[in-house]
Amino acid sequence: MAILISFDIDGTLEVGDPPGPLTMEMVRIVRDKGFLIGSCSDRPPSSQRSMWEEFDISVDFTVAKHLLADVKSGFEADAYYHIGDREDLDRQNALRNGFDFLWPDEAAAKPWFDAEA
Amino acid sequence: MTTQMAPESMYRSTEGLGVWPHRGKVAAVGIGHSPTARRWDGRAETSVGAQSIMACRKAIEDAGVDPSQVDGIVLVPVTTTGAHWDADTPVPMDVVNAFNPSDDPLDGIGQLSAEWLLKNMPELTNVKFTMYAPGCMSAAITVAAQAVGDGLASTCLVLKGWHNLEGRYNHGGISAANEVPGSFALSPGRTLWGAPGCYGTALQFAQYCTKYGKHHDMMAPFMENSRRNGLLFPEGYWAQHRPEQLPPEDYLNSRWIAKPANLFDNDIPIMASAAYLFTTAEKAQDMAQKPVYILGHASSRGLARSIVPTLEEVEAETDSTGRKIYESAGISPDDLSFENMYDGFAQFHQFHIEGLRYRGMQRGDALDFYQTDISIEGPNPVLPSGGNIGSGRSRFWMHTDCIQQIQGRAGARAVTGVKPEIAVSGGPMPMGGNFTVWSATPN
Repeated sequence: MAILISFDIDGTLEVGDPPGPLTMEMVRIVRDKGFLIGSCSDRPPSSQRSMWEEFDISVDFTVAKHLLADVKSGFEADAYYHIGDREDLDRQNALRNGFDFLWPDEAAAKPWFDAEA
Repeated sequence: MTTQMAPESMYRSTEGLGVWPHRGKVAAVGIGHSPTARRWDGRAETSVGAQSIMACRKAIEDAGVDPSQVDGIVLVPVTTTGAHWDADTPVPMDVVNAFNPSDDPLDGIGQLSAEWLLKNMPELTNVKFTMYAPGCMSAAITVAAQAVGDGLASTCLVLKGWHNLEGRYNHGGISAANEVPGSFALSPGRTLWGAPGCYGTALQFAQYCTKYGKHHDMMAPFMENSRRNGLLFPEGYWAQHRPEQLPPEDYLNSRWIAKPANLFDNDIPIMASAAYLFTTAEKAQDMAQKPVYILGHASSRGLARSIVPTLEEVEAETDSTGRKIYESAGISPDDLSFENMYDGFAQFHQFHIEGLRYRGMQRGDALDFYQTDISIEGPNPVLPSGGNIGSGRSRFWMHTDCIQQIQGRAGARAVTGVKPEIAVSGGPMPMGGNFTVWSATPN
């Protein structure tokens, strides 16, 4: 089953501002498990790419927040998730574009991020 | 000592006042900046009070004066960027008690009084004059220049501190109240029920584009140049925390906040404090840095006929401001080496510089001008400080840059296409602000 995860950055990832609960190691785990992953943030795409390169994590997409729909149309998957910390820009945006939505704390509890699971 | 808000008589807000009587007799010498942060982390040593003390001490040291020589302070007591202390949130008494408190426990955390500052800078033993200025550093500079010129103080600290708290700004305090007075709720950026803060400027910008046949994409070179300049400003937020350029593709693909204003046409709220040391031209000769003389100051007090000013009102007011600035300083547009007018929101910078007739600019010319060489290396530098776009919302980068450029201390950001001799800075809004002309010489 192909699963795509779109990560917000600020308030979601540990490297965000403010920091969020999802570590870069957790991202690396789902990457290694074959999930389609990337970031969808108000940070410019060039900044997002720099961040992933800094942590040597290969991602499938980096898009501006309002372009989440492009991710859905650009990738074939069985399930689409967006993880973020804002009601308007993350949850509503995700649901409007056909993604399932997870708050960062909810997402952190998912077995996806367990290397042994 | 009771500190009063500066009276309106200290500002030069009408045309026809002639050359400023204290032209060239007041100088900026010392500069002090705190580090920047996106938000307060709750520690005493990073509070707006601590950062402001640090900025003042750095300015004093930079000027090479003994703290006991300081006899005046002009500061802005309001420190919010739009982040208000929630009434239900306990005041952190460990932070309060880390300092000598005033009667208000939020002093030094969510506001700043002269009383609190003096209680916590015991080395300032000779301060006889304190005054408040509203809003931002541009006002404080104007008031301090006038105070030194009028003889109310001879060695005067000028201070502006900003706090930014957890959460989204303008979502707390009065913005979260169930009832607000008058037309408050309708004004841009004030409450959840009004339009975004940039709405008014976006509307004026849209009118501008229609009137002159321009479009939003033409802002990209200005935005890229401003961020580039900001990344050469080691005191700034982006240089310290996120050294990211803003290439046109990132700027142009950003989401709209109030079309045609996108995310980057708005600035990023931060915590930071800055202080300057002003003195008389005579005393400046004995201080550690090259004096930067103030040739004049002018203020804008435009009144819009409705909640959001129209393009016509903005253009008329900034035309008047330009005339007042030149009249006060006794100079003409040709005398300006460079400009550092305000940019937060980015889309009103062109109103300011067209009002100045910078480099012969007329109405409708600025966006075409942005397509030419506006870099610090060129003959027509635009906003060499990078402003709020380049370093975060402080409204003081433009002033620090003018002083540093003329002192020859702007480092990698130094303008090289022109000789930095006379510059202008100020803001904030096209319909209301305070502006200063700086010079390498008193004449």
